[in-house]
Amino acid sequence: MNRIRNFCIIAHIDHGKSTIADRLLERTGTVSSRELVSQMLDDMDLERERGITIKSHAIQMKYKASDGEEYTLNLIDTPGHVDFSYEVSRSLAACEGALLIVDASQGVEAQTISNLYLAIGAGLEIIPVLNKIDLPSAEVDRIKHQVIDLLGCKDEDILLASAKSGIGIDEILEEVVKRIPPPSGDPDKPVQALIFDSVFDSYRGAIAYIRIVNGSLKEKQKVRFFAHDKEYDAEELGVLGMKRIRTGELACGDVGYIIANIKDVHDTKVGDTITLKKDGAPEALPGYQEVKPMVYSGLFPTNTEDYENLRDALDKFRLNDSALVYQPETSAALGFGFRCGFLGLLHMEIVQERLYREFNQSIITTLPNVEYIVYKRNGTQMLIDNPAEMPGVGDLERMEEPYVKAQIVTPSEYVGNIMKLATDKRGVYRNTTYIDPTRADLAYEFPLSEIIFDFYDKLKSTTRGYASFDYELIGYKESDLVRLDILLNGETVDALSMIVHRSKSYDWGRKVCEKLKELIPKQLFEISIQAAIGSKVISKTVVKAMRKNVLAKCYGGDISRKRKLLEKQKEGKRRMKQVGNVEIPQEAFLAVLQIDD
Amino acid sequence: MQNSALYIHVPFCAHKCIYCDFYSIITPGKENDFIAVLEQEIQYYSVLYGKSHHFDTIFFGGGTPSLLTPAQIERILTSLHSAFSISSQPEITLESNPGTLSNEKLRGFRAAGVNRLSIGIQSFQERDLEFLTRIHSAEQAGTAVLEATRAGFDNINIDLIFNLPGQTSDLWLENLETAVNLPVNHISAYSLILEHGTILNKLVLDGKVTMQDTDYDADLYEITIEYLARHGYTQYEVSNFCKPGFECKHNNHYWHYDDYLSFGPSAHSFVHNTRWHNYTALSQYHAAILRVGHAQAGSEKITPAMAAEEYIMLALRSNGLDTHIFSQKFGAELLNTNKALFSQLLHEGFISKQGDILRLTPKGYAVCDEILERLQ
Repeated sequence: MNRIRNFCIIAHIDHGKSTIADRLLERTGTVSSRELVSQMLDDMDLERERGITIKSHAIQMKYKASDGEEYTLNLIDTPGHVDFSYEVSRSLAACEGALLIVDASQGVEAQTISNLYLAIGAGLEIIPVLNKIDLPSAEVDRIKHQVIDLLGCKDEDILLASAKSGIGIDEILEEVVKRIPPPSGDPDKPVQALIFDSVFDSYRGAIAYIRIVNGSLKEKQKVRFFAHDKEYDAEELGVLGMKRIRTGELACGDVGYIIANIKDVHDTKVGDTITLKKDGAPEALPGYQEVKPMVYSGLFPTNTEDYENLRDALDKFRLNDSALVYQPETSAALGFGFRCGFLGLLHMEIVQERLYREFNQSIITTLPNVEYIVYKRNGTQMLIDNPAEMPGVGDLERMEEPYVKAQIVTPSEYVGNIMKLATDKRGVYRNTTYIDPTRADLAYEFPLSEIIFDFYDKLKSTTRGYASFDYELIGYKESDLVRLDILLNGETVDALSMIVHRSKSYDWGRKVCEKLKELIPKQLFEISIQAAIGSKVISKTVVKAMRKNVLAKCYGGDISRKRKLLEKQKEGKRRMKQVGNVEIPQEAFLAVLQIDD
Repeated sequence: MQNSALYIHVPFCAHKCIYCDFYSIITPGKENDFIAVLEQEIQYYSVLYGKSHHFDTIFFGGGTPSLLTPAQIERILTSLHSAFSISSQPEITLESNPGTLSNEKLRGFRAAGVNRLSIGIQSFQERDLEFLTRIHSAEQAGTAVLEATRAGFDNINIDLIFNLPGQTSDLWLENLETAVNLPVNHISAYSLILEHGTILNKLVLDGKVTMQDTDYDADLYEITIEYLARHGYTQYEVSNFCKPGFECKHNNHYWHYDDYLSFGPSAHSFVHNTRWHNYTALSQYHAAILRVGHAQAGSEKITPAMAAEEYIMLALRSNGLDTHIFSQKFGAELLNTNKALFSQLLHEGFISKQGDILRLTPKGYAVCDEILERLQ
């Protein structure tokens, strides 16, 4: 146990987390440089394409340190995007230390700070590393000072590295061994193993990634999962190399996996504790906070007959993404579908993309919204995550919407721009602290609904990409909200309704009408587009009728060509959604996301 | 026996016009070689379809068939007559360019048996002809029609193009007025189409030519239908108008889903539910005939479902869908599936119904493709 080190890497997105991990794997011979592809641990195509980590990954490395001893290093790679910060917090609980990677040009960013606080909160030993020190734009001294101010560490505690050029990799490994304490569990106590992640394998069932906190586990032992109080046989135990390596047992302090013929991944609840059936621990380890979706949106199959397929796809998808929640929803416009909860817009996009790629599902996504609390005049209270559920004005007493505390780290010259953006987004200013004279850390409170769409993009563009941003939910506050309905040819299209703040409703109504006018193609009939609050129309526009669409010529040779063209056009039409007699293209349901205000 | 159509593609032009995507070459002197090979192709299909089919129309298209001499046309007609069963008074159409027509030539074509002349006038205005890079002048356009009449043609079609860049509705109306004052009993009025691979397409892509918008195109189309109706020309297809009794029988064969047999490079045939096309390039066509007797470059079996779709498409584009006949040929299922659509279109004035026949109204013709795309 003294020669085990469990650690993770935390960083702001793009600061080089995955590249550092690649180098560590290479240096320890876990993979040969021949096998090495970049972003080694990000094994989803989508992760490599986008250069992000979506799921946590764990891997074991063997390292011979300068003291002559061989150490087992368990590295847990974590996502950097704010949507996935819950993945970070649960990984932390399986570690004793963390590498805090800071880009030597960019400096301390919002997620550096928020992830750091998570790590300190979990009692981890922090090793600060400045990465990319060999870039011409690197400002090692300045960024060092930021880190010192942030951590209260000493200058010499900060490691200098360049993952790209392989600088400082040995030092990182040495310091991991020296500074990070070995696991502190008691091998003689009853078994307590923490599930920090789980994946689904179509042959082996749910596989739990665990950290043995106390005691030790052997194959064939009967184990018990606390959360659902279910029992299984430990079929296979092992550690995580580039592949699973079966070891037959896991000792105190080890990080590894357990396969126990578990059919449903939800039985391997992340944060749950595994113990033995016989002489088990009396209580579970402290778990994690339940992951709660931040945004909700409707997912509907483009072709209504694909509803069952979509359900199957979601059921399978959920096996590997426990953050996704969904329940059936019926829309007058779109038919049967599902109301899904996501961690954020990136998560929503990724789910949609993966459903399309991995499950071949063509879906229509409706406008995402947050979850509101509605107080009705009859004294009842309800939670709604769907604009369609909002009661009429007569029944509504008041509403509350979720607020977040946001942290924005920015070069000080952009503070003015950010304040303006924050006002547009109904932000409430709290305070400013300066990380150093050139960098400010602004604290704001925002309605969650204002930041889920395009806030991050806007923040980036108003600060030339320099500001960074993180947030956490702080609770609900009363708000003057209305439901904005969209009517096409006089009929409300429920899937286009949205809940907005009254002060913005007129502006939104106008913009949504204009955007829909752009997106809805001309059809045989004129289409009137109206935005309304209750029975009051606040904005309207018209898509004029199509006046001409006919190919002038069709003789002998044109007939096959024309038929093929027609089939192609029909295919395109099938991808549109028929609501009443109006055909609506898929992207129109997310029209609001494309509005530039 | 159902009557069928014969088509000859003559791949020669004096010049390639900027908007045209039909296959043609502009090297003179290859005509006789071409005809010799064409005769071999005719012979090949004579063996296959000489007895099974009866033909009542022959159409020389191109290219510019009027570049051939009357003797060459006669030679081809003689070959066809000896190879196939052809009715005693077939409709024989020849496409022509006003710049290639002399008095003598016109008489010669007439004497060879051509009884319907299609003249590619396109416009009676100098500015338009220059833009389209036609080889004829505005004056030649008018005189060609009159000379054809004098040469004995009493069944004359002229092609006109509208929605040319910069063409105002007044200028287009002038063209129509000139047309109806000439002795023509058939007018094909086409909206300018941007075809891939044409010079015009490149000019538009390069921003050197701007096409007019579709609403304006729709205006001109409406004007055309209305004006020609007022002057006694009935619309019987998207782009075709005629005096009573002067529908082009040959084109009606295409649109009524009859068989057609075609010869020459790039020609398409449709026989017994198979559609095939010949090699496009004259050299490949030539080589193929010498090697195997025919020049098919590809063929497609039209399944009943495809046939039903094509049938509806062609019927709606031309003089209407006879639902009774359709049901007999293909069953009533497709019609039942689209019942709601048809009654909506009827209600909105895109189609009219007379007995069993569903027919597009002028407003319907303008959006024919949009309607077809909605059929399930």
